[in-house]
Amino acid sequence: MSGAVYGGDEVGALVFDIGHNSVRAGYAGEDSPKADIPTTVGVWLDSEDEVSVPVTHYNIGLCAIHVWRPEMELNTFLKDGMIENWDMFENFLDYIYYSALKAVPRDHPVLLTEPPWITSPKREEMAELMFEKYGVPAAYLAKNASLAAFANGRPTCLVVDSGATHTSAVPVHDGYVLTQAVVKSPVGGDYLSEQCRIFLQEKGIELVPPSFVASKEVGRPEESPNWQRRDVPYNLTDSWFTYMIKEVMQDFQATILQVSDSTYDEEIVKTMPTTHYEFPNGFHKDFSVERFKIPEPLFNPTTGAKAGIQPILGVGSLVTTSVGMCDIDIRPAMYGNVVVTGGNSSLQGFTERLNRDLAAKTPPSMRLKVISAPGTVERRFGAWTGGSILSSLGSFQQMWVSKQEYEEGGKAIIQTKCY
Amino acid sequence: MASGVTVSDACKTTYEEIKKDKKHRYVIFYIKDERQIDVEVIGARDEEYEQFLTNLQAGGAGECRYGLYDFEYTHQCQGTSEASKKQKLFLMSWCPDTAKVKKKMLYSSSFDALKKSLVGVQKYIQATDLSEASQEAVEEKLRATDRQ
Repeated sequence: MSGAVYGGDEVGALVFDIGHNSVRAGYAGEDSPKADIPTTVGVWLDSEDEVSVPVTHYNIGLCAIHVWRPEMELNTFLKDGMIENWDMFENFLDYIYYSALKAVPRDHPVLLTEPPWITSPKREEMAELMFEKYGVPAAYLAKNASLAAFANGRPTCLVVDSGATHTSAVPVHDGYVLTQAVVKSPVGGDYLSEQCRIFLQEKGIELVPPSFVASKEVGRPEESPNWQRRDVPYNLTDSWFTYMIKEVMQDFQATILQVSDSTYDEEIVKTMPTTHYEFPNGFHKDFSVERFKIPEPLFNPTTGAKAGIQPILGVGSLVTTSVGMCDIDIRPAMYGNVVVTGGNSSLQGFTERLNRDLAAKTPPSMRLKVISAPGTVERRFGAWTGGSILSSLGSFQQMWVSKQEYEEGGKAIIQTKCY
Repeated sequence: MASGVTVSDACKTTYEEIKKDKKHRYVIFYIKDERQIDVEVIGARDEEYEQFLTNLQAGGAGECRYGLYDFEYTHQCQGTSEASKKQKLFLMSWCPDTAKVKKKMLYSSSFDALKKSLVGVQKYIQATDLSEASQEAVEEKLRATDRQ
């Protein structure tokens, strides 16, 4: 369909980038998303009276999930980057459209991002939902790795995406993802949060959500905290509490953790400066060796992580394994263009360490170059920004799958037009 | 995935003039109004590689371009006494890291369209800084596929 049908270049498209930590939503052509909404949703049941069937309610949005609502479970609609719970996702989309953006779905074409390993049935289901339920005039599904590659000016590159639930190495050639050579590992930001929590609890440090603290007096370092607990309802769920602790851990992670420049060595690390951290309840202390020890399994799995998911491949090995599966002709281009993106890659020292690990593994005949966006915002919103620019280009308007095409060709059209 | 940018006929004609008739040394392409790839500069047959690089970067550090160059070098096969002259065409996408994300996005997502319409180019080069676009780097890439 030509641009003229939409009345010029300005189509007011919407871009949704769905991630495990948050969903980014906003208008195409803008620099950053209008809304950054936690992917975690609160679910609770309620019935009018004793006898009627309970109705499921969803609490969506940053504020709504923090509410002290008894029996509210926090859950997510995503699994492995793909939509698992469609009912919850529909409610989430309603929230984006009607509360966050206050937009009418029928007025805006929509570009959605998807992980490189998305399956065909999931894509078709997504197309069906967008066209049939929301009646969007046009839609497009773009691989987040392709968008990141384009946004870095490299249609051929290897995208290393370290997000909340996984880290992946995705080869992109001429803007197309080489799906057979994608390598991923189930460690990411959430894994680090979990490791931090286990570590701190072993040390006997009490972790409480900030909202539980009524008042506190900050004492001397490592002194037991002096704080007043708010009167909290007794029946808050475990999943809610776990999420609140995870938020505290995310802050801890961003402040304290650092990846060691070379392979972790306790003797060397001891000499590094310590960093101070104050917990919500007023307890505060310096952290030294732990700062490097906790994120080390990300790069060097043999250093033994504590309970939970265990990494098998370090980030460096993910890259070399993935490149090894690519055609020999494009391997030099892959090593020469390693693009680092994803929120977890903002971890201090992440890119430097990856560069160093890869330098040792790259064949001597090939040039290595690791590229990363300078700021956290660019990395968290990298795929969104790419989608925003792409869908606002005048020439892109013919690429959309229009409602008419969907009605004529059925949901399989999404497979032929978006690849 | 592509941007949907098209390639103008002028690009194809100029390309044929270089490939078949050897009328020019190089050509610089740019994207006009975010819609169509068009010819910006045509380099005379006697111009040097340096001039190609200058013209490629004429827009400043914030701009991206495509360049096509008819590269000549001598190559000596093993066991032969005389070196032979070789000519190879390469197509380069120039997207410096200093360029705006919008430009990078536009040029990198449209490169495939240009690649497909210029048939017979021996080598595609994706350059983001001068170390990748320099004469030595380019020659090394072109030689990589030659027999020893």
